[in-house]
Amino acid sequence: MSGAMRIVGVGLPRKDALEKVTGRVRYTADVDLPGMLHAKTLRSSRAHALIRSIDVTAAANAPGVRAVLTSKDVPSHYMAVYGYNIKDQPLVATDRVRYMGDIICAIAADTEEQAAAALALVSVAYDDLPVVATMEAALAADAPELFPEAPFGVVPGYGEGASAVMRPRKNVCYQFNYTTGPSSAFDVCDFVYEDVFRFSRMHHYHLEPFVTVASAREGRIEVWASNQNPFPLRKELARIFKVSESSVTVHVGTLGAGFGSKNNCKTEPVAVMLSLMTKRPVRFCLTMEENALTNTQHAAILKLKTGVMKDGILVARQSEILLDSGAYSDASPLVAEKAGYRIPGPYRWKHIDTACLCVMTNTAPAGPFRGFGGTQASWASESQLDMIARRLGLDPYDMRVKNMISLGEPFVPGESGMDSDLKEGLDLVCAEIGYHDKVKKPFFGKGISIGFKDGGGIKKAAQARVRILTNGDAIVNCSSVEMGQGIRTAMTQVVGEILQLPIERISAPAINTDHSPFCEGTNASSGVAVTGRAVAQAARDARQKVLDFAAMQLQCDASELSLENGVIVQGTGPNAQRHPMGPMVMGFYGGPGFEFTAEGFFMAPVDHRAPLESPCVFWEMGWGAAEVEVDIETGQVKVHKLVTSGDTGRSINPLVCKGQEDGAAVMGYGQAMFERMIYNDAGELLNIDPLIYRVPLAEDVPSHFVTITQQQGHGPGPFGAKGAGEATILPVASAIANAIEDAVGVRITELPITPERVLEALARKAKAELRS
Amino acid sequence: MIPMEIDFILNGRAVTGKVSGNLLLADYLREHLDLKGAKIGCSRGACGSCTVLVNNIPIAACSYFAFQLDGKSVLTIEGLERDTTLHDLQQAFIEHAAFQCGYCTSGMILVLKAMLDHEPNPSRDTVVEWISSNICRCTGYAQIIAAAEAIIAMRANTGPTEAVS
Ligand code: FES
Ligand code: FES
Repeated sequence: MSGAMRIVGVGLPRKDALEKVTGRVRYTADVDLPGMLHAKTLRSSRAHALIRSIDVTAAANAPGVRAVLTSKDVPSHYMAVYGYNIKDQPLVATDRVRYMGDIICAIAADTEEQAAAALALVSVAYDDLPVVATMEAALAADAPELFPEAPFGVVPGYGEGASAVMRPRKNVCYQFNYTTGPSSAFDVCDFVYEDVFRFSRMHHYHLEPFVTVASAREGRIEVWASNQNPFPLRKELARIFKVSESSVTVHVGTLGAGFGSKNNCKTEPVAVMLSLMTKRPVRFCLTMEENALTNTQHAAILKLKTGVMKDGILVARQSEILLDSGAYSDASPLVAEKAGYRIPGPYRWKHIDTACLCVMTNTAPAGPFRGFGGTQASWASESQLDMIARRLGLDPYDMRVKNMISLGEPFVPGESGMDSDLKEGLDLVCAEIGYHDKVKKPFFGKGISIGFKDGGGIKKAAQARVRILTNGDAIVNCSSVEMGQGIRTAMTQVVGEILQLPIERISAPAINTDHSPFCEGTNASSGVAVTGRAVAQAARDARQKVLDFAAMQLQCDASELSLENGVIVQGTGPNAQRHPMGPMVMGFYGGPGFEFTAEGFFMAPVDHRAPLESPCVFWEMGWGAAEVEVDIETGQVKVHKLVTSGDTGRSINPLVCKGQEDGAAVMGYGQAMFERMIYNDAGELLNIDPLIYRVPLAEDVPSHFVTITQQQGHGPGPFGAKGAGEATILPVASAIANAIEDAVGVRITELPITPERVLEALARKAKAELRS
Repeated sequence: MIPMEIDFILNGRAVTGKVSGNLLLADYLREHLDLKGAKIGCSRGACGSCTVLVNNIPIAACSYFAFQLDGKSVLTIEGLERDTTLHDLQQAFIEHAAFQCGYCTSGMILVLKAMLDHEPNPSRDTVVEWISSNICRCTGYAQIIAAAEAIIAMRANTGPTEAVS
């Protein structure tokens, strides 16, 4: 199309720009319904205990209190437990508490202060049980059993080589396995290396808390939720409260971020229950401290056994990954699948054998976190690859290039082909830090890494609807949640490009599950690559309906027509005739006008040959490189340069993509250097206070911090796009650890890379050198 | 608690309010005055999403009593626009996509406004130092810094556009 508007690929102002820079945007936290009550909860002060008794008498009579909820108020016909494949988290604790933070009692009152004051009057008597605060403690032979009863859940179908079991052993809620190729491959290896890596745990630290406003009556539930998966939430609420799914309405507007945490049930069940009890709308909004107790990343221990040839060719990898899943299984089985599946990294192998176990502990429940198991896997895999290269006397760059999957090559049998040129990305980040420069300054080192994850989700279905209005304005209805990633902007740009319509004329309204098209959820970087395909199809079909209508009016063939900014263009060049849509539509349909509506649908094909039963929609690759300087006196590591890069395939909005890559990289940087949740052996979260828990500030970001957005053009989404937003968290920690070994010859295998750990490693090295 | 009467300037207009001694400024703004642009992230003075300017100094409204406003002037994000014309910082935030979820945005813009009023021609380090009072979990800060630098460069050429102070 000559002279066509370019909308895709342009850094247009975001659709939500004006409302966000003026403070006019409204989040779920701002929802205020007439007669609304406020909920607060009493949380367990014990990490593991039986509840002997709860006395709420005084609280029930406190000023402003409208309802007090404990487990005995939950009707027995409700299925008041939730989780993904395994439903083990109770709406409120029943006979026992499993972590400091478990909800024991909830109160709805006229104000939050009154609810909080009343909670102080509740007394709970506990019988303490032994605490398992760590995975080691949970797996010990004499560890107490955290879930004495049989698990209530399902193992989903898997494809070739993959399998899973629920509760394979005490205190493990799920184990995922993947195997391909003969294990005899180890026999031919020149060397086999075994290394163990530890991964710390962060909390998501989204600034808008978990919050729900619920308005429920017997048989009817309406919630305003800060939730990234409105449709699964609808289904889960219907199941818990035993109402028809069509009687549950979930409203989702703008989220103040989530980074994975705002999925499934969080604040919703308590809010709904209190609303049912009071017949009033109830707002349940957590504090930042409570956010940290509600969902976290998975700490992990990753044991890798890797067989190689002496020229650096990778042969076989066996791995065991332990994920600290906390007190309830939440999405841990899904994270286990992904961590287990991604641990080989983007390399060729003759044999892979992986077990990933979800270990239950008396700590906060862990769940989805940006990177979704891929961050843990990349940390271990990319660290070990570097260690092996150095042991073999090879350059880590050469070792990666030798083994990496080439463009189009499947990751494992049955999988889709790699859709990025891995070397192209690696060369970019290497160039940016001068990786190949020969001069080496003392105590300076450079490291590289390739982060790897499958993107787009498994068997993920999305529908979309595009409506072209009388004058050519358009509405795109789809259920990708706007949580900061810019998905509503991206969708309007996709529609705008197809309709040749400025995005000012396109709206993307908030989600209401009664009207919005189905979407499995906003996760796995699937917005553009999955839902976007449904949107693009809907836009093309709606456009075709307009052109067919116009062809009928103009008595010509639709192929002679095009649509541009709400005008039907007949013919091309200087003689083209322009017919504004409005008069033509009203001429036929009358004054009220009309809407041309089309639906789109996308779901990745189901294929049993693919290990996860659905070939990966796209590969989300994140390349990283770092230059560090290590102070051997203090153990301080200064990251002089941090470079990360993702491949968006095609950036629908380059400014938005860059922002996502910056944000993910800085999150990874915090994890690498200092950010972590610290638990003691009693299961107490020591740095729960937001003033103490440390997240990256502007001053923490390395002065030479660069993100490079590649657009290699091989994505499956609209205009060659892939998903984005997670890639650049993946390679950061390992690139830094690799740079440290390059600088001072010590290997840090545990995150975060604190000065103490560096000093310890230096001391170990000095000792070893003394001995030899 | 006996309410006290306070006189202060709210977004350029003189107002009188009745507040109880334990009312937090964040709640006063959000619940009583319906100015919801200041967000509550942590309620602990750590994140800065509740930032407003009191006498042109950024303060955390979650950790400041409403009565402390007496005799002072407060500027919230709602007061930054002049007759529907965006402040140049707001414009720069739009052009540089200096926000994602937007929860930190009101605070970040106000911090930068205070910075520019105090130091009209700051270095990049000064920008970093000022915004390090606030947390943005989404952006990694690069685009916020880029927006600030664009304003600084623009103002160096054209002088400041009028801003409410
Ligand atoms: S909400 Fe006030 S500083 Fe975080
Ligand atoms: S844009 Fe989300 S916290 Fe800054």
